[in-house]
Amino acid sequence: MSHHCDCGDAQDQLFQYLDAELDEDTAVSVREHLDGCGGCQDSFEFHRRLKVVIRTHLAEEMPESLELKVRALLRGETA
Amino acid sequence: MADQANFERDALQYSRQLYSAAMRMTRNPSDAEDLVQETFLKAYRAYDSFQEGTNLKAWLYRILTNTFINKYRKDSRRPSEVDLGDVEDLYLYRRLGSEDTAEAARTTEDRVLDGLVESDIKVAVEELPENFRMPVLLADLEGFSYKEIAEILDIPIGTVMSRLHRGRKAMQKRLWEFASERGLLPEDAERP
Repeated sequence: MSHHCDCGDAQDQLFQYLDAELDEDTAVSVREHLDGCGGCQDSFEFHRRLKVVIRTHLAEEMPESLELKVRALLRGETA
Repeated sequence: MADQANFERDALQYSRQLYSAAMRMTRNPSDAEDLVQETFLKAYRAYDSFQEGTNLKAWLYRILTNTFINKYRKDSRRPSEVDLGDVEDLYLYRRLGSEDTAEAARTTEDRVLDGLVESDIKVAVEELPENFRMPVLLADLEGFSYKEIAEILDIPIGTVMSRLHRGRKAMQKRLWEFASERGLLPEDAERP
């Protein structure tokens, strides 16, 4: 049984919700609030998309040579 | 107990991810390469102490972050444990302007999310003091759970949550500055 969740509660739990860190009951009550609240829905959607943008832009292309260097280093250890 | 003979097969699949994290920690490709190599070497030497079936990725990240902290913090004059000024919650979102219609608001949001470039995001993370940058990187780049981050950084889960929260707010403030410089914000959303 989930308890009632207002805009303040929902915004307080925004990051934990998007990080999938809320327990099931709390996540359900946030979801129920979002279903009926366009403002919170919009804010959650913005932050969900921002998380994707951040993740995409933080990734780095690894130089091909690095993996070869690591393998050579490990072989040196076993030799 | 893990067998060293399987190390390459099991561990090297994480090299690309470790390199991305190493780049954001050291801020330059040559140090990042050194850090990744040192991490794999240490992990290889300690592999027989790794409990097979437990979280190998988290174990490698723990070695990566410890190596970074021990090696590169010494070289750095930047204080590692710094506090951030107080920043309002959801800083960026709340400054996207007071658009009249939901449609206009969405246009601004799209423009900001599409208009921020790779270097904006990277700089915003790299400028965070180390104690905030690490949890943000582990959560937002790697998608580790709060519990995993607590284990990797050896800090309580409550500390992970508060640093993550404050680090993200500071990052949003920086992203708002970039969005503003790039003219992505509506006129009424200028710096308050």
